[in-house]
Order: sequence, then C-alpha cells, then structure tokens
Amino acid sequence: MNLIHCKQLSKSYNGKPALDKVDISLVSGAPIALVGPNGAGKTTLFSILCGYIKPSAGEVTILGEAIGSPKLKGLLSALPQDAQLDPDCSIVSQLKLFAELQGIKGKAAKLEAMRVLELVDLVNVAKARPKSLSHGMSKRVSIAQALIGSPKLVLLDEPTAGLDPVNTKKIRQIVREQSEHTTFVISSHNLDELEKLCDQVIYLEAGRLKQSLSIHTAQDVDYLTLIMKKADMAAVHQALLGLTAITKVSQSANNQFIIEYPTQSDFTLEQQLFSVLAQHQWQYKSIMKGRTLEDTLFSS
Amino acid sequence: MNNPTFSSPSALSHIWLLARFELTKRFNSRSGIVALIAFIMVWSVILIYPVKEAASIIMQPSFKEFMAAVFGPTTLDQLFNWKVAEFAVFWVAALYLFPLFSIFISADQFSSDKQRGTLRFISLRVSRNSLFLGRFIGQILIQSILILLTLVAAIALIMSRDSSLLLPALNTAMIIFASILIVVLPYIAMMALLSIIANSARQASIFAVILWIIVSLIITLVNVQFPGFNVIGYLLPGSQLSDMVNTQGIAAFAYAPIPLLQTVVILLIGRMVMQRSAL
Repeated sequence: MNLIHCKQLSKSYNGKPALDKVDISLVSGAPIALVGPNGAGKTTLFSILCGYIKPSAGEVTILGEAIGSPKLKGLLSALPQDAQLDPDCSIVSQLKLFAELQGIKGKAAKLEAMRVLELVDLVNVAKARPKSLSHGMSKRVSIAQALIGSPKLVLLDEPTAGLDPVNTKKIRQIVREQSEHTTFVISSHNLDELEKLCDQVIYLEAGRLKQSLSIHTAQDVDYLTLIMKKADMAAVHQALLGLTAITKVSQSANNQFIIEYPTQSDFTLEQQLFSVLAQHQWQYKSIMKGRTLEDTLFSS
Repeated sequence: MNNPTFSSPSALSHIWLLARFELTKRFNSRSGIVALIAFIMVWSVILIYPVKEAASIIMQPSFKEFMAAVFGPTTLDQLFNWKVAEFAVFWVAALYLFPLFSIFISADQFSSDKQRGTLRFISLRVSRNSLFLGRFIGQILIQSILILLTLVAAIALIMSRDSSLLLPALNTAMIIFASILIVVLPYIAMMALLSIIANSARQASIFAVILWIIVSLIITLVNVQFPGFNVIGYLLPGSQLSDMVNTQGIAAFAYAPIPLLQTVVILLIGRMVMQRSAL
C-alpha cells in the first residue's frame, strides 16, 4: 500500500529553504529510516506529514489521503521531537483522553492507556504527573502515546536521543514487535540502530533528497567489512589488494576495510581472506558481510 | 495482542471530550485549586462586606433619595428595583469582576500547550476546529461553575437574613447567571484567540491589557472626531457594561446581542488564526 507520497515538496522559512523539491514514495512494511545531518529538513518533513506546518509548495498524501483529512485521524501517529505532555495532569488521564479522542470509549480507553504504558514498561508511573519523570521516561511515555489504538503509520522523530542503552534496546524491541501491523518511519542520528531495524533508508541533506536505498536488496556487487585488531594497516591494505576476484578495497576507518567484489555464491573470497590473515598472523576483530549503513551512505 | 480498529468520533464528541478534560484539569490540578481558593476568598470578602452591608443601606429610603440627588434621578434608579437587595450590589460587582476573572482564568487556553508541544499530541487526533471550540467550551463550563458557586453563596447569605426570599432569589439568580455568562463569552473568546498568538499565559494577559487600552483609545479618538459614529464602541468586549449596571432582571438581556455578536466574530477570527498557525 502507498504509505507516504511527496511530490516536489518544498518548505521555506523566511525565504530560506528547509525542504527543496523533495520527491518521496514509500510503501508500508518494514521500518523506514530517515537520515541526515542537523538542519537537513527531517523534522520539517515530519512536521508537514503530521500537519503541524503547511508546505510552501508541492503535494503530500498519506495512505492516499491529503494531510489533515479526518480519515487519517487515528491511522497516523507520531512522536514529535521535544513535545511534552501537560505537566499538571496525570499521565494516564492524558493517554486516556487521547484514546477517547481516537474513538475508544469508557473503560476500554483506560485499558488502552495502560496497555501502551505496559509496552514501554511504565505502568508504575501511570498516576504520576509528567513533570516528575526523567528525560528517558518522558520519552518512553511519548512513544507509548504514539502507539495508542495501534495506528497504521507511526513517525518517530529521534526516538532514542538521550536514552540509555537499556532503554534504547527496549525501544528497538517495541518497534520490531509493533512492525507487524504498523509501519514506522524513524529519524535518528544513530545509524547503527537504524541498520538493525530498517530496510529502506532515506537520506536528506540541506533540504534535498540525496539517496533512497534499500539495505537488504540483492545487487551485483557485494561487500565485506573487515575490522582489524592491532596490525600494520598499510601492509594489510596491500595484502587485501592482492586477493583475486575483488573490485576495490577501501579503508573507511583506521582499522576498517571494505572489500568490494562481484556477487558470488561460494566462499572463495572468505577462504582467501582467512589464509592471508593466517599467513601474517594478523588478528581480526570482526568480519561482516555487507557494509555498515554509515559506509553505505557516506562511501561515495 | 488484539488490533482493534476504531471509527473516529464525530467533531461534536471531540469537542465534548476536550471541554470535559479542560474542566477536570482546572479543578484537579494544583494551580487550578490555588486559583479557585483565591476566587472563593475574593468573593467571600465581597459577599460578607459590600453585598451584605450595602443591601441594608439600599433598603433605607433616605439612601435612594441621596443617590438620586447625587447621580440624577434616572442614572441608578434601577438599582432600587431589585426584589432582593443583595443582588443589586452583587450584580454591579459581578458585571465587572467576572470579565476580569475570565481574562486571567482563561488566559492559558493554548499558549503553554503550544510552547510545550502538547497540542501536537492532540492535533494528530482531532481537527483544529474541534480543538479550538473544545477548549473554548471547556472555559465556558469553568466560568459557569464559578458563577454558580458565587450565586449559591449569595443565596445562602440572603437566606440568613430572610428565608422567605428563597423563590425570588432563585428566580433572580437564574437571570443573573445567564446574563453574566453571556457577558463573559467574548472575553473567553478573546483570550482563546490571544493565547494562540502568545507564548505564555502571562503574555496573553499582557496582550489583553494592551488590546483593551489601545482599542479604547481608538474608540475615544474616533468618537471625538466623528461624534455620530458611536457604533464603533461596540467593537470592544465589555463596552455595554456601564449601561448594564442600571438594568435589572430580564431587561439586562436587551444588551445580550452585543456580546453574542462579538463572541461569534472573535471565534471566527480565532478559528482562522488556529488553522494557520504552526503547532
């Protein structure tokens, strides 16, 4: 199903473009990553999709509906960046209101509020007021809010910014579990995390769409990412270049090499690589099939 | 886990849910309770001293003659026609105090929530029209309760003097309730509008003060320049209050079209601003 469709979408603030003629077409399914440096236009894009601001030009549809359409209420949900609940009302009363506004009535609304709090492991603070929560906890409550009524599309703007590793993992787990019936679009600077969750990646830079790629699609070329322990990196590089049937070897970090080669079904390359390592007694830290998202986005 | 799909409720039920939440929030939160206590204390003082004392003075014929001599025979004559004397003083106090209270109590319909991003959670679920009207109606409910509270207290005060006045007191109280509620409507609407523009409740109140002063000045200037152009006075909420002091009972409703019309106009402008503002 066509999830989000943007055509020549532009937004400028006082003549300065934040989004510049962006064309995006996304379909429902696995989580989608939205990546880009600070000021690339990620939050602007999310704000337009949520109807918080109006685009200067271009068209957008979500699930085939125009933004702000009553048909989208309850289908589209979001974790807006830096949005906070009312500090003076109990968390459960506010989540219950949201559930009621989505059409869940009476006791079921309270149960739904408790269900989403359970998902983020915060049932024990249901009666507390948002001002008594830590940053990480309020973030999780905001994520719980986005899951009310099991919407079709959830936009998460920096869901794990400021969270500790345990909670980050927890959020990842929730996204994975809910992905069966909900498509998540996640903006984040944490590429490792997005790599673990997402298949499709959209890369924005200076308001323009730079890349839109799928991490797991089969291609003609394949990559091996080799991370070494202590060794003479120049010598390693030289030795790797001596491998047969490779296209390119690049050093993406001090101790990290990316070997590009035509897709093959057997393990000749790996076998060659291990014999080279064994021959020189070089210890490696990890060998990964493919490239990290960081290398994929910034290699060229 | 079940995955129920729910049909989105109508705009009317959205408005009702939001209004009800405003009401419970006002009387549940600590700041709301503090404001309520302040309100009760101010009104207790008004009821115990001016209302109770003045009622006994008004009932003396010599006072009526004195007022007629000072202000002229028709300026405040209606003050002496109230069936229950306490309500004569209550009416004058309420006419000026409730608009003032309503400005401060309803100053934060949107500003803080907009600053914090709380409106973003709500606007994903309801239309901006419903959000705007829901909050506005919530404030009307809050003001209704406050007016009712003071009226009940006033009736209790009257009963302590003369219990035979119960029926006329109830009758008058109902008319006063409706009149005062209509009087405060444009004030609440104006604060709804200003609180969308303002960044905080305090700023919204400051905007209100500035707006009232500037518009009053403009009205005065226009009236000096074009003496026949009195209608412009009705642009400002509350412009009819000084005339309303010398009315009583049903006659006060003759002024109702002014605040009602002002409310409709302010709400239409507010709705437009709400639709256009970035949340």
